[in-house]
Amino acid sequence: MLQKLIPNVLQMKGEFVQATWETLYMTFGSAIIAAVLGLLLGVCLVITQPGGILEDGLTYSVLDKITNLLRSIPFIILLAVISPLTQFLIGTTVGTTASLVPLIVGIFPFYARQVQNALLDVDHGVIEAAQSMGSSPTEIIFRVYLREGLADILRVSIVTVISLIGLTTMAGAIGSGGLGDVAISIGYARFENDVTFVAMIIILILVFAVQIIGDLIVKAVEHNE
Amino acid sequence: MAEDISNVIDLQDIRVTFKNSGKDLKAVDDVNLKIKKGDIYGIIGYSGAGKSTLVRVINLLQQPSEGKVIVNGQDLRELKPVKLREARQKIGMIFQHFNLMKSRTVLGNVEYPLLGKKISKQERQEKALTLLKRVGLEEYANTYPQRLSGGQKQRVAIARALATEPEVLISDEATSALDPKTTKAILELLKKLNDELGLTIVLITHEMQVIKSICHNVAVMDEGRIIERGTVAKVFTDPQEKLTTDFVETSTNVKAAIDRITATINVEDLPDNQELVYFNFIGNATKQSILSELSQTYHVAENILFANIDQIDGENVGYMIAIIEGELVPFNKALEDLRPHGVKTQILSGVPVKGDEA
Repeated sequence: MLQKLIPNVLQMKGEFVQATWETLYMTFGSAIIAAVLGLLLGVCLVITQPGGILEDGLTYSVLDKITNLLRSIPFIILLAVISPLTQFLIGTTVGTTASLVPLIVGIFPFYARQVQNALLDVDHGVIEAAQSMGSSPTEIIFRVYLREGLADILRVSIVTVISLIGLTTMAGAIGSGGLGDVAISIGYARFENDVTFVAMIIILILVFAVQIIGDLIVKAVEHNE
Repeated sequence: MAEDISNVIDLQDIRVTFKNSGKDLKAVDDVNLKIKKGDIYGIIGYSGAGKSTLVRVINLLQQPSEGKVIVNGQDLRELKPVKLREARQKIGMIFQHFNLMKSRTVLGNVEYPLLGKKISKQERQEKALTLLKRVGLEEYANTYPQRLSGGQKQRVAIARALATEPEVLISDEATSALDPKTTKAILELLKKLNDELGLTIVLITHEMQVIKSICHNVAVMDEGRIIERGTVAKVFTDPQEKLTTDFVETSTNVKAAIDRITATINVEDLPDNQELVYFNFIGNATKQSILSELSQTYHVAENILFANIDQIDGENVGYMIAIIEGELVPFNKALEDLRPHGVKTQILSGVPVKGDEA
């Protein structure tokens, strides 16, 4: 039965396992670093924006423009454009690890924007209350913004990881491997449609898994409130 | 200098100007305000009068454009950020919408201001629990604020504000989102804290009822300025400004009563020997049987249409509207003789009736 439906897939089980690991590695490897950068940028945007706790018009406007600029570059072009930086950081411009650099640069401004919106939803009155109690900006960031905004930050993190899975499929263009690469350079190029199809199914399973696990975590955090 | 120390808050020549699409908006316009230690000071005004901006100047949540802010003897605008944050811990604040953290338990919220202090977790929790006991919510320590009623949330906010042992408590419309019964309970709690801890309270409100219940002194704000101020008893019984009179009459129901009476009785139809009179008694006058004395001494008869007695900052204030019947000469003499007793009268009939004159 399976032999009939997905003959080519059965012949390359090993490649599929390998590709799935590569996709997971690219997704979570870049997610961890992008999370740090994105949180940092998102927090900076929130605190420096007009009315923020460390209001600074110039800093805000520079950060805001950089964020917009980076978000405007199509990812497939970013992959190529960024290769000198990748060469500098990783020592090569090709391969799974090399793809982490464009993935991080491609996703963290998006994440920063989402974090910014999540933190803006934290009641301004609560921030004001913390200020009135003599909290310092650092205390307000860690004890109020990030804590009160935690459920929303987790929610946007899920969305970001799912976008990131999408981006990893494009990284095949620089020889990153992964499920996207299998789908295009094997399935599509060799007219082995079953390969393309199964690669898509695995990606969908990953996406659903991230969504479901993420929702459970959000629920656990919100359960208390 | 002795007087300076007794003023726990001293705002000097405060101006707050907002730029609004190129136009300058004066939210606070040249305000001077001194508040004595242990006082309960009310600031009343309609929304947009600048009262909220003014109280935010006290802890510099709002930086004034001009003026000096002296609290607990410190010029706050001269302080470095670290020192300002220390000073802010001595100025508690509660808000209309409570502003509790939803991700922390009730106990966690009260613990929050103590997180930066060098005390053990156990000490911190004990202290927070003691504060919760003070506001009567110790059994809710491990609940999340979302499960509490408005009045309970405000009690938590009060406990939180007290955690750093402030000298001053600023209440920014703290009862405006609460029903009358809860408002009363919260105000009683504030009064208790004022009595027991000697806490100076500055509260802003648009309800004269709130001022009447607990304040000793009051300032009336309009368009960024303080237009009238004094002891609550004085402002209540002898308001100078139209706006003040409005606030007073809304809270005493006198205006409504005058309107109702003049709507049902056509004052021009009254016989010549009758007049519609509004009496306002202050202090001891309410305790004496002035009216019966009047009728005996001057042989005038009264028909009481409306009467009410209020307690304002411990003083009795009475209001009465009555039709007085009698001969003209003794009648005028009677009204004249009431004045030294602290009774003010106004003849509502004959002269054009204006409800806003007391």
